[in-house]
Amino acid sequence: MRHVRIDRWSRGESYFHTLHAAAKLVAALTLLLCIATLSVRSLVCCAVYLMVLTVSVKAARLPVGRVLLSASAVLPFAVCFAIITALSGEPDRAAMLLIRGYLSSLTALLLISTTPMPDLLAGLEWLRAPRFLVQVMQFLYRYLLVLIEEAGAMRDAAESRAGSVRSLAVRQAAGAAGVLFVRSWGRAQAIHRAMMARGFEGHIPRFREFPLQRSDVAFTLVAAALTVGFRTVLA
Amino acid sequence: MHIPDGFLSTRVWGTMDVVAAPAVALLAKRAQREFDHHKVPLMGVMGAFIFAAQMINFPVGNGTSGHLVGAALLAYTLGPAAASIVMTAILATQALIFQDGGLLALGTNIFNMAIAGVWLGYLPFAMLRGGKAGVFLGGMLSLLVSASLALTELLASGVPIPPAILALSGALFVVSAVIEGAITLAVVQALERMQPGVLRQPKGLNSRTGLVLGATSAALAAAGIFVASTRPDGIESLAQRTGIWSRVTTVFRAPMADYQTTLAITPWLGRSLAGLAGLALVYVVCLVISRMLVASRPPLSAAATPREGV
Repeated sequence: MRHVRIDRWSRGESYFHTLHAAAKLVAALTLLLCIATLSVRSLVCCAVYLMVLTVSVKAARLPVGRVLLSASAVLPFAVCFAIITALSGEPDRAAMLLIRGYLSSLTALLLISTTPMPDLLAGLEWLRAPRFLVQVMQFLYRYLLVLIEEAGAMRDAAESRAGSVRSLAVRQAAGAAGVLFVRSWGRAQAIHRAMMARGFEGHIPRFREFPLQRSDVAFTLVAAALTVGFRTVLA
Repeated sequence: MHIPDGFLSTRVWGTMDVVAAPAVALLAKRAQREFDHHKVPLMGVMGAFIFAAQMINFPVGNGTSGHLVGAALLAYTLGPAAASIVMTAILATQALIFQDGGLLALGTNIFNMAIAGVWLGYLPFAMLRGGKAGVFLGGMLSLLVSASLALTELLASGVPIPPAILALSGALFVVSAVIEGAITLAVVQALERMQPGVLRQPKGLNSRTGLVLGATSAALAAAGIFVASTRPDGIESLAQRTGIWSRVTTVFRAPMADYQTTLAITPWLGRSLAGLAGLALVYVVCLVISRMLVASRPPLSAAATPREGV
């Protein structure tokens, strides 16, 4: 699965990996904001951003080619609207939609490839995202692959009995979804009971401190200044 | 329909972020109250269920297949407030780890799918007291509303969409909405056979609060987009209108004044700083509102995924 690879990337030890998640989030949002407000004829600025992002990917010791390729996951949607825009006689704008979409996707990918999900959630919480929501996200992330594997196992079981599940009827598919639902629900309740038995009090205890260093603040300031600076001078 | 970054104009995503953030905080509080916070694992696992359930293909005819979107199903089983929070968690996870939908556009996607999609999907279910028709209509409406909102926002952002393509997408939306309704109904019926009573039966129109909430946020969003599109810059004018702008500029007068005098050659800089300040302002407003709404606990600065689960 694609995410497993990104998850592995995020456990690296480069400079980018050791930064505080909140610092990286703010820097990424600043860059996203600058990208989102780029006007149609600012190709130089786009090129500079692409270069900066590529260099950052390289500096984070990630496989540059595969990261650049992964970021194109946004392209199907982008191409669809770019074609519509181009057909309405605005080819410049269409190209800009594609470029902006790709650069934004690359920015988000750099963030997630250098930040393990638990740290990222801690960063969100540091930025005061509703804690209840962050906790739901923690559980969602924790059980995402578990349940996807469970669904895969159910499909394997069905295939070994019925030959192929390509031809499932609506009723059978609904039954499969229902079984998955009931199993997920049961698992959730077992998890909940197990956590209660261990003294769960409604929030997950912290295992380690995660203080914001002065160098993290410095990184955010420099990154934001550079991003806004490029945007100002070049666009 | 997850809108990526780079497609919406600043005024649209800015407005939607402003609308969505306090709404999520409010819903988080409501879900916490009616669903006690000890049920956090249940909500998280049901979010993961939605991801997994999307692997199951439903035959749609002509050899094509569709899959469950699930906003309405979550609303029926967890209640609408909890369902909104689970959908928000799903959308944030999709944006963060699958690059499915943008980060700046997250507020927009949350509004479309986790707020409007969930609550308007819940409405027929609540009004028809959970009958077959209510289940079907709810699934249908949730998808139709989310998709139409996304299209409207793209239009409002100035993406030129010719009428023919608009009509085509409208037709496609209706077809997918009917499919979502049918899949939701089929899954609900299968569930009722396997585990009777899994649906939370709506207590009449107890969802009045929900209605008020839905209508308010819809009106807010509409008004926001309207105001923003008649003004030069959404966030900037919002900030000016509320009067907080003058205070912000007083606080930051020194640096801002410097920039504007020395680098006045680029009018963009003024606007971009105003935009950044506006974003910071939005963040502070959301923070304050959330603080007021959500019972505060000492902030948890670090949290790891629970490895001690089952």
